[in-house]
Amino acid sequence: MTTRDLVLAALFAAIIVALGLVPPIMLGFIPVPITAQSLGVMLAGVILGARRGGFAVLLVLLLVAIGLPVLSGGRGGLATFASPTAGYLVGWFFAAVVTGYCSERFVDRSQAGIVQITGFFLAALLGGVVVDHALGIFYLAYITGTGLATAFIGDLSFVPGDVLKAMIAALAGRAVMVGYPLLPHRA
Amino acid sequence: MKTLYVEGDTFLHRLSPRTKLLGLAVVSLVLFLIHSPAILSVAAALGGIVYASLRLGWRQSWLRLRPILLTIVVVALFTLVFNGWHDALIVVTRLTALAVFAAAVTATTSTGDFIDEITRLAMPLERLGLVRAADIGLSIGLVIRFVPEILGRYQAIRDAHRARGLKVRPLTLAVPLIILTLKNADEIAAAIDARGVRAQK
Repeated sequence: MTTRDLVLAALFAAIIVALGLVPPIMLGFIPVPITAQSLGVMLAGVILGARRGGFAVLLVLLLVAIGLPVLSGGRGGLATFASPTAGYLVGWFFAAVVTGYCSERFVDRSQAGIVQITGFFLAALLGGVVVDHALGIFYLAYITGTGLATAFIGDLSFVPGDVLKAMIAALAGRAVMVGYPLLPHRA
Repeated sequence: MKTLYVEGDTFLHRLSPRTKLLGLAVVSLVLFLIHSPAILSVAAALGGIVYASLRLGWRQSWLRLRPILLTIVVVALFTLVFNGWHDALIVVTRLTALAVFAAAVTATTSTGDFIDEITRLAMPLERLGLVRAADIGLSIGLVIRFVPEILGRYQAIRDAHRARGLKVRPLTLAVPLIILTLKNADEIAAAIDARGVRAQK
């Protein structure tokens, strides 16, 4: 990793932390707050690609682990990883890597705008929704012993919000690509 | 940014970060192997005693543990509805024990100690050529340094929207924020290289 890549990842980690200062919305029936931070995770993949985006999210998780209250609502510390919803948190890393990898595959600077937006949307959907939710569901089902089906039903209420975030990430990813392209292309 | 570390000189403060992290790993493994609510309750009580020995005070302790305890209660209710009281009891006691032990390690280990420990743990990865161990501390420092600046920029963009009578939307806010922030990367990287912080191989 060059110094520039390192700095880009660190700056993006700082953006994700800053997004956590927007207050989270708690839905009554399942204990996962909806936050702009998961939007930041998709954005990291879409804008920086798999390697740097994954490193940015890893830095955020490292900050959480060493006791800085960088998650939305001032959460942080090792206890966060002991939470029943820790699967979603650890899943962020895989979400950013998958989103980044797919963005590198699907999107190319020579494509038309609508194609790029669709590519970014699919990438964010695969990483930020499919991968992250799958890990979250597995861990929640494992830790509570309720079985995958129940955990899946509980999870469903968060899917619409995250699909909306994938849409925002796609539009923002395309806009940043026009203004300041950083995403590497993978053939 | 305020860390969750609390200055002090208790037994846990004096233990090395490595011992505490290893201890926490062992405790969490053991907690997942136990399936008896009675033993798990004892473990949770032990965790409570360890946490209380840090003398943070009731108010401070509650503020720190509130978010995770709320999550545990909601998940336990969820388990109660679907699996009955026995499983719900196991979930509550196990996760509470885990949460207080983890919170105790966080409260007694400073950010600097953690970074040193992570750097040492990353040494084998460095030998494999995967990362440079010293980069981890550097990156963490960079993130902490730039969060206030990004928040300042966020406010400036929001004020600019207001001044022009525009509604603040996620997209019109995020895009300029990201581009402005990432455009600094070249200068920052040049500054780091100019000072020879990361000696080039």
